[in-house]
Amino acid sequence: MAADPNKLAIFVTSPQNMTHVVGIAEAAVRAGKKPMVFFTYKSVHLTKDARFKPLAELCGEEDIAICADSYTCEGYDSAKDIPAGLTAKQMRTQAFHGALLDECGKYIVL
Amino acid sequence: MESLKVYILIANRTYNDGIRSALGLAVENHYGYPVIMNGEFPKFSTYMAENIAWIGDMEGEVFTCGAPAPDNLPEEVSLTEINLQELGERMRDADVIIPYGLLKQTNTPPPACAE
Amino acid sequence: MKMLQVYRSEPNDDVKTLVDILNRDREADEFKLYGENPNYDELVSKIFAADKTVCWW
Repeated sequence: MAADPNKLAIFVTSPQNMTHVVGIAEAAVRAGKKPMVFFTYKSVHLTKDARFKPLAELCGEEDIAICADSYTCEGYDSAKDIPAGLTAKQMRTQAFHGALLDECGKYIVL
Repeated sequence: MESLKVYILIANRTYNDGIRSALGLAVENHYGYPVIMNGEFPKFSTYMAENIAWIGDMEGEVFTCGAPAPDNLPEEVSLTEINLQELGERMRDADVIIPYGLLKQTNTPPPACAE
Repeated sequence: MKMLQVYRSEPNDDVKTLVDILNRDREADEFKLYGENPNYDELVSKIFAADKTVCWW
């Protein structure tokens, strides 16, 4: 599958940029673009932010995920405590980051 | 699918998880190049050493920029020393550049951070 | 090749050096995320106008 020129990858690696993540994702949707977001490592703490669930709903099940291993490493229960707004299938591996690179024509890290 | 050249810049000692992230991309048929900046090295555990070796096996490379590679690295760990100008020139050919996590702290970590 | 350099904080000397090399002989734009109330619509527009975006710490 070729990268979609209207799809924006947002790779979240820092735990302190939720305002930017939400701001950029919402702006992308306003511009008629499609955000695709992956949270990894310590950024998984942002799943506990009240703005995470609306973000997940904005992106849709196929286009937002978190690294399940990171979530577990940070002390959360990736089986019993799936973040609000996500399903078990959105608890993913680093392969989802590969999907971001493959599917998205544009890319930003936060 | 095109294989991309991805540089992951690690500037903070607590964000060496970027090496695992590079390995994840290598497994997805991309070229992963983690760069440890200014001596913010990880603990070279067996897990970390295996990941670094695996990145090399997958035609990636792990760099140290701004500090020499530590002495007494595990046998399977190879770090390529590179200066900032060389890194910049290499990254002109990058498909993706990822400044990972946080910047280096300006204050010294207390002993509690060692645990 | 059109580069977009995005800054999450004031760029340090290492970042400035790398940006100078990356932008050399290329069209380049920038966006500061660390100012008050960044205009995300403008940023998204810049991202889609650029060939490559680097978002620094």
